[in-house]
Amino acid sequence: MITATTPKPLLTLSGVCVFYGNFRAIDQIDIAVGAGEIVSIIGANGAGKTTLLKAIIGQADRVEGRICFAGAEILGSTTAAIVRSGIMLVPEGRRLFPSLTVEENLQLGWEVGRRGQIGFDDVFRLFPVLREQRRQRAGWLSGGQQQMVALGRALLANPRLLLCDEISLGLAPQVVAELYALIPAIKARGIGILIVEQDLERSLSVADRFYCLLEGRVSLAGRPAEVTHETVIRHYFGL
Amino acid sequence: MRSASRLSLNLARLVCAAAVAAAAAAPLLLSQNDVVLLTEFMSMLVLAIMWNLLAGYADIVTVGQHAFVGVGAYAFFGFTALAGLDPYLSIPLAGVAALAIAVPAMALVFRLRTAYLAIGTWVVAEVLMLIAGKLDAFGGGSGTSLPISIVLSFGRTRGDRLAVIYWLAFALAATAMLATYVLLRSRIGVGLTAMRDNEEGAAAVGVNITYARILCFLGTAPFLGMAGAIITLQKLRIAPPASFSITDWTVFVIFNVVIGGIGSFEGPIIGTIVYFVLRQYLSGLGPVHLILLGSFSIITILVERRGLWGLVRRMLDDDLLPIAHKPSPAFRASALLLRAARR
Amino acid sequence: MLVPWINQLLQGILLGGLYTMFATGLSLSAGVMRFVNIAHGDFIVLACFALLVLTTALGLNPVVATLIVLPFAFLFGFGLQRFLLQRVVGQNVLLVILVTFGLSIIIENGLLEGFGADTRKVSGGWLETATVALGQGINVGLFQVFTFIAAVALVAVLDLLLYRTGIGAKIRAVSDDVAAADLIGLSSGRIYAVAMGISFVTVGIAAGFMSIWTNFDPASGPTRLLIAFEVVVLGGLGSLWGSLAGGIVLGIAQSIGGQWDITWQMLAGHIIFLLVLAVRPQGLFPRY
Ligand SMILES: Nc1ncnc2c1ncn2[C@@H]1O[C@H](COP(=O)(O)OP(=O)(O)OP(=O)(O)O)[C@@H](O)[C@H]1O
Ligand SMILES: [Mg+2]
Repeated sequence: MITATTPKPLLTLSGVCVFYGNFRAIDQIDIAVGAGEIVSIIGANGAGKTTLLKAIIGQADRVEGRICFAGAEILGSTTAAIVRSGIMLVPEGRRLFPSLTVEENLQLGWEVGRRGQIGFDDVFRLFPVLREQRRQRAGWLSGGQQQMVALGRALLANPRLLLCDEISLGLAPQVVAELYALIPAIKARGIGILIVEQDLERSLSVADRFYCLLEGRVSLAGRPAEVTHETVIRHYFGL
Repeated sequence: MRSASRLSLNLARLVCAAAVAAAAAAPLLLSQNDVVLLTEFMSMLVLAIMWNLLAGYADIVTVGQHAFVGVGAYAFFGFTALAGLDPYLSIPLAGVAALAIAVPAMALVFRLRTAYLAIGTWVVAEVLMLIAGKLDAFGGGSGTSLPISIVLSFGRTRGDRLAVIYWLAFALAATAMLATYVLLRSRIGVGLTAMRDNEEGAAAVGVNITYARILCFLGTAPFLGMAGAIITLQKLRIAPPASFSITDWTVFVIFNVVIGGIGSFEGPIIGTIVYFVLRQYLSGLGPVHLILLGSFSIITILVERRGLWGLVRRMLDDDLLPIAHKPSPAFRASALLLRAARR
Repeated sequence: MLVPWINQLLQGILLGGLYTMFATGLSLSAGVMRFVNIAHGDFIVLACFALLVLTTALGLNPVVATLIVLPFAFLFGFGLQRFLLQRVVGQNVLLVILVTFGLSIIIENGLLEGFGADTRKVSGGWLETATVALGQGINVGLFQVFTFIAAVALVAVLDLLLYRTGIGAKIRAVSDDVAAADLIGLSSGRIYAVAMGISFVTVGIAAGFMSIWTNFDPASGPTRLLIAFEVVVLGGLGSLWGSLAGGIVLGIAQSIGGQWDITWQMLAGHIIFLLVLAVRPQGLFPRY
């Protein structure tokens, strides 16, 4: 199995288990993400993808194993501290604050994060439509625009590692394509990206490496170019 | 280990059945003062069972339960002393009156979500108490005494009277227990329990929760009203602040249930027993009494929110009365005893 | 003939100012944390007793005493939320209701034990007796006018705080979606605690005005809670300016009811509340 490929991975999970009560949603997982690397996590409904991201960000109740970020153990830290150290999540379902304006939503990202080079202008350059809409309540935006705000909010936290949970969820294919087109630009800033998707093609097309989850375990890992579609499908559904 | 626990559980059930039998015969066994105390216990038990049903199962956290106790007291007085109806008949009629008031009250407070509903019920109680104080026929703000002829119709001697009032209270408490037991074992009860444990659960069971909550709210009102009538028989007078006493009919009741174990059948019973035992020692302390009870109940919520029964339950296999399961032989035996005791 | 009624109407509006003050803190905590602090009224009364001690035992001016109380009120609210209420918040409304209910009983009886059941009042000196003549024999108390202005200012300041500051945005964010706030590293527990601290500052301010305006005793809390609650629901849950409207409506109802027959004062207020609840449950100025 492939673990770290870059000399010094930004994030490493070793032997991580996550529990809901007695239910083991994540079972003995080892994962690594390097700086400027795009790693994709694929898996069917309920495979444990969201749970894994929650464990990394410090929002899972019971986690065992080790989670190291930039050389420091972050398991047990508060989410606020983890975010300040440079990991930011784009949550599943976007999770904007609907009664706040676009600008206020973005501002919150800025406030929880670490200081860095990414500012409002960079976000507005990536997503010009947000500049026009910045006084609009987030709840009134279209799904695609909301996803842009969620991404913008995360980027304004100046993360070294960005966690994206199903950013394509419920969006038109055209919009998804636009969003994915921006991923390389984010990578180019040296930000590591962990992308969670159910949509295989999409996420494998941008990924440097991938892990496939099946019922809380890694069923397959590698580089997209090295595996056939059939192999992935087999491990995706556990056939 | 487990069989030892099962044995003690069955033993406990037997003890309970024996206690019920003894309670039915209490006036024959105990002094008058003790009968008075036990009557009070039965009334409090009814109030506790009703509050627990609403707050612990139906998600209706009321702080205005004293409203229906007061309505029952005033209705009882009205039916007997003013309308001249049969005093025994007036007790169930007091329950009907409470039900009649519960319908519009429910229409109003159910417009509020749980958190606000609590205070909504309090406002309703306040309004009813203020209105009661304006009824001149009922003695206005200072209240009035029950006419002696009505008191005497429950028994010529004090001893007879106390026994009769006790049996009324006992019957009401037994009915209340039985009714809740039946309700909780019905589909509606299963739905309510599912809802309490998990929002989507109830929908899965296929129970209409709005309907179930309405049923509970309206179902508790007559019991509270009849308890109000019996309490009036004991106190022999009505007065707005006493008949609608938030401290006596709501505050103590809430503390009892919380300490005993909210959301369980056994909780209100245990809580009321503990309350009466504690009261012997604490009531001389004045305000400190309530400070202690308030602190106990907050600590209970923080430590084990299912109360004393929750603590005991950790060590037992099963509920004393198996609400969620098929009745065990031991339960059937105690149920038989219970029925025999009531005859 | 008409003059007494106009007079009562004016008094009612001014009384609405005091009621708005009772309600702002409750509105804030109910709007943000989605629970009603049943001990709200008792905390107002507790603060009144604190002011009583400061003004009588230390001989302080009521304004100075109130200013001293406010930072403590903030810390108290912050601590209460952080160390007690936060343990039960978010799981089940029932638990929060019960804990605050327990607190309410503890405070009431604690005050009773400490101060006895006598009614008390804080002296406002000359301000209390000064009146403004409006002609036609209508006079309004200077203190009452002052209270009303302060209530409007309080609502305005809270509105600015919530809608124009960083902490305000954070408070609104957790009010929108606590779980989302936690996911992006906004510590909802701290933000709740700050909101509760602010709510308690308004409790302190309300106590400052109430302790001079009316008599109080250890059992006065529940009435204040009911008033605050009615104002919040009348105005529309979570709407600050709505509370001002709700306060005025309730003040007028009580004042007019009291003019008709003094024993109808409280009842008239409750009845207006129930009527509005029946026909317009979302309140007069719902936020959404
Ligand atoms: N709060 C929870 N309590 C109990 N079990 C949970 C909880 N959240 C998720 N689970 C369970 O954990 C498993 C993993 O869920 P998770 O949400 O991580 O899956 P996922 O891969 O993100 O799925 P999806 O593609 O649907 O988003 C599932 O079996 C789910 O039922
Ligand atoms: Mg998911």
